[in-house]
Amino acid sequence: MSRQLAYASIGELRRRLQAGEVSATQLVEIYAERIARHGDCSKAFISLDLEAARRKAAAVPREPATGLALNGIPYACKDLFDVAGQVTTGGSQVLQDNVAECDADAVAALNRAGAICLGKNNLHEFAYGATGENTLYGTAPNPYDRSRLAGGSSSGSAAALGFGLCAAALGTDTGGSVRAPAALCGLVGFKPTFGRVSSAGVIPYSWTLDHVGTLTRNAADAALIFRALLPGARDVAPARLEGCVIGIPREFFFDRCDAEILDCLDALMDFLRAAGASLVPVEMPSMEHTRTVSLTVQMPEALSYHNRYLEQRGHLYSQDFRAGLALGQCLLAEQYIRAKRFIERYRREMDAVFAEVDTILTPATPVIAPPIGAVEVSVDGASEPAGNAITRYTSFFNMTGHPALTLPCGMHSAGLPIAAQLIGRHHADEQLLALAQRIETDYAFSLPLPDLD
Amino acid sequence: MQKLDRQTLLGIRDQLGGYAWDDAEIDELVDPKLGIITGFQELLQQLEQLRKIDLGATPPAGDIGKP
Repeated sequence: MSRQLAYASIGELRRRLQAGEVSATQLVEIYAERIARHGDCSKAFISLDLEAARRKAAAVPREPATGLALNGIPYACKDLFDVAGQVTTGGSQVLQDNVAECDADAVAALNRAGAICLGKNNLHEFAYGATGENTLYGTAPNPYDRSRLAGGSSSGSAAALGFGLCAAALGTDTGGSVRAPAALCGLVGFKPTFGRVSSAGVIPYSWTLDHVGTLTRNAADAALIFRALLPGARDVAPARLEGCVIGIPREFFFDRCDAEILDCLDALMDFLRAAGASLVPVEMPSMEHTRTVSLTVQMPEALSYHNRYLEQRGHLYSQDFRAGLALGQCLLAEQYIRAKRFIERYRREMDAVFAEVDTILTPATPVIAPPIGAVEVSVDGASEPAGNAITRYTSFFNMTGHPALTLPCGMHSAGLPIAAQLIGRHHADEQLLALAQRIETDYAFSLPLPDLD
Repeated sequence: MQKLDRQTLLGIRDQLGGYAWDDAEIDELVDPKLGIITGFQELLQQLEQLRKIDLGATPPAGDIGKP
């Protein structure tokens, strides 16, 4: 029973809480017991505040009728988010004494909705990397195969859900850091429209590309969390697929992709057509220079933020991040500005694409979760760095700022989840969530729970 | 475009101001081994390609407009 509850959706937990079948205190204790059992091997948490969680849970009435959307729901947040009175480490030795004075806006919003924060999740140091490797706090493994990566940079957030240690988690997504680990771990990862959810109180990596996002067990939960983060958001009910025009960008987004992932996308597209959606090919902006543009913006912005710590604590950064920051110092201002102008061009070109379609569908990742320690992965005979592969289909939409969501759609013969990515128009977050809910409601696919024994 | 020289990066470090990176970081930019950065030389070549693309009057990206 406790395992069933630990992996239950927020929707199911809300129903049981409201029916008085379980209390918030019982939920916190179930997760606390699982954290005690799986916390070390999952590497999901950097810090916990279970006593505060217990106090808050005790204040939730047994049969709550408060109307708070997330009353009594335990969650966790990536350790880039400030939680008042707790250390925000950024997953780094650099900020071991960085005690937050107040909550990040997103944390405050979830708390106002009645959610209970259990602790702070592990991550790639300061979100610099998609593998989630962290020499200080360990590398979060994939719950479906502990020899493989959970993915990153929100690695601990994905592992926390995958190991059944919380009901939802907050993450950040600069190139896919919410969507990719969610995809690799069989979860729903949602990155709203750029700027729509406040990033105040979150350690930045790149102001131009950072998005606050969520990891949940399904799209309905993502919609619940989104409404709590943004109380003005519209209600989200499952959308109709009849008449929905879905763009399929065959070039680049289906290239150099694992054959079983492509098979799963084909099956999903067959379902969408049968359900009345119209699937049309779309021509995307040229992807030739997108990684260069992204990197040219990221590194000077990261350096600009971290400059304050370098003189006194520069030696505490990991070697690879230091090299990245050094790169940021050597780029010319003109190169940075040109990259920002390319981003504006990408946004305009994508807006033109969205004049023709409601949504775009791609695989979430071209590969399943790579082995821990793999420097490179190979698809179709071509090798590339593991982190680049993990975010190859996601990072473009951080530049354009369009809302994007990854959701499970299959299981690989290697025993690892496969996911699709949906991208929507700017500010059409609710419609995107509604479409994802319809797919998860009607598509005959369910992911088995990870076998942790 | 000439090949990136280690001395150039040392000059940037020592003469333009900014943080005094260790030789290890400078070496990584010239001869990458960590796998995350593709190498400054390759990035500079790609940036040179970008320089030749006319962006007209396109401004730098700002906030996404309101709906």
